[in-house]
Amino acid sequence: MGASQTRSESVYQELMDKTGFSLEQIKNLKKRFLHLSGNEETISRENLDAIPALANNPIRKQIIEAFFDKRNQRSSEVGHLEEIGFEQFVMVMSHFRPPALRTSVEEREVMRKEKLQFLFNMHDTDNDGVITLVEYRKVVEELLSKSGAIGHEAARAIADAAMLEVASTNVPDMAPDDFYEGITFEHFEQILKGLEMESRMHIRFLDVDTSTMRCGKSTS
Amino acid sequence: MQFPLLLLLFSAAADLSGTADLRETGLSIPASAPPLLLCPQPGAPRDLAPPGLASARSAVGEPEEAQNVGHHGGGFRVVQWEWTYVQTPYIIAMWLLVASVAKILFHFSQHFTTVVPESCMLILLGLVLGGVVLVANKKQLYQLDPALFFLFLLPTIVGDAGYFMSARLFFDNLGAILTYAVVGTLWNAFCCGFSLYAAKLLQVIDERVQADLMDFLLFGALISAVDPVAVLAVFEEVHVNDTLFIIVFGESLVNDAVTVVLYKVYISFVEVGVENVETADYFKGVASFFIVSIGGTLVGVVFAVILGFITRFTKKVRIIEPLFVFLLVYLAYLTAELFSLSAILSMTFCGIGANKYVEANISQKSRTTVKYTMKTLASIAETIIFIFLGISAVDKSKWAWDTGLVSCTLVFIFVFRAVGVIGQTWVLNRFRLIPLDKIDQVVMSYGGLRGAVAFALVVLLDGKRVKAKDYFVATTIVVVFFTVMFQGLTIKPLVKWLKVPRSSSRKPTINEEIHERAFDHILTAVEDIAGLQGYHHWRDKWEQFDKNYLSKLLLRKSVYRKSELWEAYQKINIRDAISVIDQGGNVLTSARLSLPSMASRASFPEFTNVTNYLRENGSGVCLDLQVIDNVPGAKVEEDTETHHVLAENLYKPRRRYQSHYSRHFMSLGEKERQDREVFQRNMKSRMETFKSTRYKRHKKERSLKKRQGLDRDKPRRNVSWQDTDPVFVSVESDEEKDEHSDAEKEEDVGITFVARRTETPKPRPKSVPPAVGDSHSPTAAPPSPTNGGSLLPWKGSVSSPPPCVSVEATKIIPVDLQQAWNQSISSLESVSSPPTHTEPVHPRVSALSRLGVPRPISYSPPGSVGGCTSSIGSQVVQSSLCFPEKKKEQEMEEEQEKEEEAELQPLLAPPTSLTKPPPPPGSAPSSGKRRKPSVYLRSLVTTPSTGSNEPHSRDPTQL
Repeated sequence: MGASQTRSESVYQELMDKTGFSLEQIKNLKKRFLHLSGNEETISRENLDAIPALANNPIRKQIIEAFFDKRNQRSSEVGHLEEIGFEQFVMVMSHFRPPALRTSVEEREVMRKEKLQFLFNMHDTDNDGVITLVEYRKVVEELLSKSGAIGHEAARAIADAAMLEVASTNVPDMAPDDFYEGITFEHFEQILKGLEMESRMHIRFLDVDTSTMRCGKSTS
Repeated sequence: MQFPLLLLLFSAAADLSGTADLRETGLSIPASAPPLLLCPQPGAPRDLAPPGLASARSAVGEPEEAQNVGHHGGGFRVVQWEWTYVQTPYIIAMWLLVASVAKILFHFSQHFTTVVPESCMLILLGLVLGGVVLVANKKQLYQLDPALFFLFLLPTIVGDAGYFMSARLFFDNLGAILTYAVVGTLWNAFCCGFSLYAAKLLQVIDERVQADLMDFLLFGALISAVDPVAVLAVFEEVHVNDTLFIIVFGESLVNDAVTVVLYKVYISFVEVGVENVETADYFKGVASFFIVSIGGTLVGVVFAVILGFITRFTKKVRIIEPLFVFLLVYLAYLTAELFSLSAILSMTFCGIGANKYVEANISQKSRTTVKYTMKTLASIAETIIFIFLGISAVDKSKWAWDTGLVSCTLVFIFVFRAVGVIGQTWVLNRFRLIPLDKIDQVVMSYGGLRGAVAFALVVLLDGKRVKAKDYFVATTIVVVFFTVMFQGLTIKPLVKWLKVPRSSSRKPTINEEIHERAFDHILTAVEDIAGLQGYHHWRDKWEQFDKNYLSKLLLRKSVYRKSELWEAYQKINIRDAISVIDQGGNVLTSARLSLPSMASRASFPEFTNVTNYLRENGSGVCLDLQVIDNVPGAKVEEDTETHHVLAENLYKPRRRYQSHYSRHFMSLGEKERQDREVFQRNMKSRMETFKSTRYKRHKKERSLKKRQGLDRDKPRRNVSWQDTDPVFVSVESDEEKDEHSDAEKEEDVGITFVARRTETPKPRPKSVPPAVGDSHSPTAAPPSPTNGGSLLPWKGSVSSPPPCVSVEATKIIPVDLQQAWNQSISSLESVSSPPTHTEPVHPRVSALSRLGVPRPISYSPPGSVGGCTSSIGSQVVQSSLCFPEKKKEQEMEEEQEKEEEAELQPLLAPPTSLTKPPPPPGSAPSSGKRRKPSVYLRSLVTTPSTGSNEPHSRDPTQL
């Protein structure tokens, strides 16, 4: 018991260093992880899919997919995992960690980039570094179209418009017979320049343990 | 300057002369003040002689007389008589006039107003006016009457602010707002009170100020609350970022509850005497805080629900929609006041709560009316408040000066405000995701402006109970002046110097809009996955609740069904339009567009303007919408037709002429139509600008085209639309129809039919270089399904790489624009219009369409040629078209027109019927000949290219 305790402690320590979460937060996440996985070592898509609160989320699929995307593990690998362990789980979560009170400009920049990259990866489903129109359309459609077929048309139109916007802002001098292949990460950064990513892409991870309340609600 | 002065003199003089003998009684202001009377409290009631008809009539000519009399200082019986009759409304009107004119004058100098806040100038003007009145009358006639202030002036401002406040922003920062409002205000109140008392004990404050602890606490309570009027007035000119603004402004609204409670508690304590206060009373005070704040909020929410519910049913009486909004919001205020709850809270929440549903329910015209009226009223109320603050200050009789008290108060409120803000922020930052940094704190401390609320409260004090009332009044005036004038004047440079992030007047782009939405969902999802029940979780829950229950209850059926998508789409389209305008330096709207988007009363945020345009058009402008669309050409033929129809319909406004018969609906104003026209033209011309820059040598053609365009519009207006509309109306007039379609109807009757069409919008080869067009033979036949690419004009036209559409391939742009509009419209419609309502019309429509369909032929050389050339002009550059083709184009064009006309008829026909009717070779050459040649052109030109280039277009959709 003691040994495993220290071992998990050291694992936690490592995770803390990697992700910037506090020990309490990691412990909380661990509890959550075990709850989701049914005390297994790994978690699969079905586990996440089964979360009742997610049922209404229009982009549930993408988000769940993001957890299984190797690119979000801060490594250079590409591809998808079938199951993720706790470490991967935390790594993905760490994208949503709020910034510390005092952050330098560079740190913010890095953070912003990471978050953008996460978003980008979410949209770029085929890992080719470009969000194509189809991919983008899918995102928009899913975002907007809870309301059936009509919604698809509109969503598609919006996606097209958005795509065009990207194209026109990024490649203003495109030759007439060029065409815009898709959004690269640079372009992606460019178009979301005006957006306050740092302030918007995070959630509060609790330091205190609220798992008991949580369990009751989330399972109900 | 002169003018207001004169006016004032005049009214004062008139008053004098009119009530010469009443002066003694009449001029003692506050005593006999009929509560609601603005200013002079003359002996009006005393003069019972009921003015007869004659007098009423002669009252019209009275002003001159009065003036004369004023100058001569004499008094005719007759004059006196009539003056008392019209006095109250007359003076009120006069003040409104003075205030409005003053406002105009301030804005004469752009430079001046950017440096000096309007509120400062108004106070100064008030001081001057007050001085004049004082000199003229030896006594101050006018004063900010608390009853007037609380019952009329304040609600107009709060109502406006609450109704137009961004609910999302407010609730996102609710925690901070509540903290600052409650804790901060309490802190300020107590600290100021106790410190002043200490200063009194230390003899810093003069002996003459007869006040004990309770008095000081009372004073502290009323002086410590940040004032919404002042905050609005100052901050709206500073344009700090939205978060900062909402925190300060939200605080100023919400702290009303605290102020009210503290004020009342202390008043009652002062009245019974401190020694008689029992412990229970303190608890009662605490309890009353919750009752006042929560009760006020509840009242507001209840009225919001009522308002939303009522506006569900105003479809038949659009004209009174705005009235409901005003009445219910105002009633929320009065009701809260009635139960001595927090009226400001009530009104704010009524506004915030109802806004979403009301805006969706009422017609666009009503929206505009509400907006303008609210802004006008609020603007005037604000002006009057500040002028009267200035005037009141001149009234020597009302106040007594004590340097110690004044300076102590100034220092204390400033210091405690700063300390309070820093302390609270420190605590808050442990919980906030986005911490408030030092700069924010400085601005928040410095932005703690005191204003008219404090003044009105202090004037309300009972001089017999609160011995030091006069001192308090003087101090309050000084504090208010200091904060509004000095801090108001310096906050702008301070903000600049500190480099506080400003709010950008820029509207989010489509992509940003999309991602905003994405963020919400992502964060909610991650919270759910992480098992946290944080803010996003609850917000999502609320949205679900809202969608499932509230919206069902409060939104019209038609609105409800379309609401979500409609909203999003509309929004995005609007953004798009805005961006286009911005880039193009649109003449019409640029002035407005440059305005800030904050809750500004002096100026309308650009959003509204454009929104209005778009809304009235029944659509947004989505420039590029379908451009990239890529669907295999299975339905090519349909598409072709659709496209043609769509392309024809750019000039929507023209079509909307007749439509409304009902006297409950206002007909479209000439002005609006013009505006829209201009707007569209501008869009077009902006496109042309691009073109010109790129292809200079084709200017001629372009101009030609322009002219052409102008000409073109006319025929169509008469022809297609007037015909079609009646059909629409007659069929639709039933109630149930209305239910479904009212929104569309009022917004743009004509558009509906288009909707169905676009559903098939298709594919554009992204990479069709128009140049290839040359190869294409002029003989290209009219649309045949096989020749998909060539037939789809947009393919040709738009097909050049999507990016090109807006920026690059400018040559096509005008047309693209049109298409885009149509398409966007259509998609909007498809979103919004329930399929049901289209059915009934169908039979007739289809018949019509048949008739109209006349296909090929009938050339109208002059017009069409012109059109061709123009279009060609655009194309030529790239495609190097040759003349033969032109003819073809003409032909096609013609055809197209016919088709279009045909299509126009079937306003509401279900999609299938619309699309199906194959171009029957027809007859009916009708009026709309000269339209849209360019479209065709393009189709011709680009056909081959489509084929050839497609392979290399990367767009996956194509496959």
